[in-house]
Amino acid sequence: MDITFAPIEGKSRAYRIMVVVLGVMVAIMIISYLVAYLSGYQVWGINNAVPWGQLITFDIYFIGLSAGAIVVSGLSYVLGREEYKPIGRIAVFLGLLIFAGAMVCVLVDLGRPEKFWRLFMYGYLNNMTSMFALNSIWYGGYILLMVVYLWLAIENKKRLAMIVGTIDVLWAVGVHSFTGAIFGLIAARDILFSPLKPFEFITAALTSGTALLTVVVAAAFKFSNRNLDKKVILSLGSLLRYIIIVLLVMIFFDKLTHGYFPHREGVLFLFTGPYWWVFWCFQIGMGIVLPLIILFHRRASKTVKGVIIACISVVIGVLGERAALVIPGTAQVQPLYPGNIEGIWGTAGSFPITFWETMLSLGIVALVALLFVLGLKFLDLLPAAEKVKEPVLVEEASEEVAATEAAENE
Amino acid sequence: MAKWGMVIDLDKCVGCQACTIACKEENSVPHGSPDEQRQRREPYWNRVLAVSEGEYPTVRVEFISMPCMHCEEAPCVTVCPAKATYHREDGIVIQDFRRCIGCRYCIVACPYGVRNFNFKDQLEKEYHRPDLPPNRADRGPWPFPRRVRGVVEKCTFCFHRIDKGLEEGKKIGVDVVPACVEACPTGARLFGDLEDPESEVSYLLASRGSFRLREALHTQPSVFYLHS
Repeated sequence: MDITFAPIEGKSRAYRIMVVVLGVMVAIMIISYLVAYLSGYQVWGINNAVPWGQLITFDIYFIGLSAGAIVVSGLSYVLGREEYKPIGRIAVFLGLLIFAGAMVCVLVDLGRPEKFWRLFMYGYLNNMTSMFALNSIWYGGYILLMVVYLWLAIENKKRLAMIVGTIDVLWAVGVHSFTGAIFGLIAARDILFSPLKPFEFITAALTSGTALLTVVVAAAFKFSNRNLDKKVILSLGSLLRYIIIVLLVMIFFDKLTHGYFPHREGVLFLFTGPYWWVFWCFQIGMGIVLPLIILFHRRASKTVKGVIIACISVVIGVLGERAALVIPGTAQVQPLYPGNIEGIWGTAGSFPITFWETMLSLGIVALVALLFVLGLKFLDLLPAAEKVKEPVLVEEASEEVAATEAAENE
Repeated sequence: MAKWGMVIDLDKCVGCQACTIACKEENSVPHGSPDEQRQRREPYWNRVLAVSEGEYPTVRVEFISMPCMHCEEAPCVTVCPAKATYHREDGIVIQDFRRCIGCRYCIVACPYGVRNFNFKDQLEKEYHRPDLPPNRADRGPWPFPRRVRGVVEKCTFCFHRIDKGLEEGKKIGVDVVPACVEACPTGARLFGDLEDPESEVSYLLASRGSFRLREALHTQPSVFYLHS
């Protein structure tokens, strides 16, 4: 059975307002970047104690979302599961756009962005022992693979899409493990240093990517008046809960390893330091506890609304997880000399949330969203809308889709 | 080839911060407002920590003066993606502003927190300095009279002084020393060749107990501290 895909019309008032609002936010993003570039990054919250801030948080968050979306797209294109067909293209497209957003984040975060090309001078002008330089291979290849993958998916070349999709899914896992390695290999920082980081990153990527895809798919289908089989959302939800459990196990053993021996300042700082709320409220509360409660609740886990709420909670929680790594990870005072270091050198780094940095990060989110809604209008990403006006029961609807499409194909 | 190193005698250090100021003057490191200092945005190529131990009245305070440690196994050199940080043959870890892309990965990786990001353009003009170093063509526009924002910078062991001194045939560590060593009023800092057994630093390290900061990380710093 083949599904016909069609662009949305994009003529409704709500669609136009959305495009305009997102466009304005992108304009604000450009202005806020110009402000930061012209006056130096002193307008951001970063400092010498916390050198990476919101943009790196969003960068690794986006890379995770993208890797997760691509892995989920593999359910349809690699494993050939029929029920995920309607969301296959949208997953690949979302993966590509979010990754582009991640690259914008990391580019504008560079102090001298005009020199970014140095990262791509393999071995000659860049230093291949650096995880950043290695990642330029992973990231560059990933973008190319996703473009080809999306093109094959849209052209409906199933066999080639399966081959490229398989490579891309594996590549996405590599991309995100090496992103985790950027942090996990830093022995100087207690909170960052962990061999588990690459695996934790992949698992967090899977949770956030699956969750965001579920939310986006549900919203896109609802607002374009298309019917999506309820089972797709529910099965993504039940997939999500197992990945969250794996993530919980990873976080538990990571923190246990760091807290078991007396040298446990890092974990204590994360748990009880000034950023405790990022870890407990966002990473654990919204990223793990709340979604697990909903997804294991007998009734809530059977409703689309319940699954969507759990997914939104995961999407926010994993952003908190990234922040709980980037900011406390460097804010912790390094044990330079035994004793109590006095003054500013012994105070944990602070990271104020500043206007321009926030506008820039939100603007990049808006940029991704804008490209996404424009993509829905100009590319064949969503299954064609049905002609039926009356609301139909979901199970019947999917059969009807099949019937109408079979008729159309003939 | 010499391997330059520094020995800091904690017994003699009085915490006067003359080294910090001399470094700023020599290398034209901008000073910051009290706000910038509090926000940790003021660049320091050398800083002095006050570390206390115990409760009043049995309290003990030590001053740990920290330039860049110029580690033999420098994490910053490993993580720098742009080859902006590298080892010179004489062991000095150099930061090349023209190569630095400003990703700040080295700040995250540095176990000693001696690296600084330049958050803004320098407002003030270069300090008066009579001894502009030679070899500008070779080393690039050192000492970067107007440095650029958006790159990471750090202590260089005043390599311009060393290079000039070697060219003029002077004895490094005796006639020519980094600015912080020169400025130290108590003579707590000594600079010299760690590989030369005749040098004063080697003599001190052999005769007195010494340690390096965060030795468990095996970064092999070139800055040694003598026990107080």
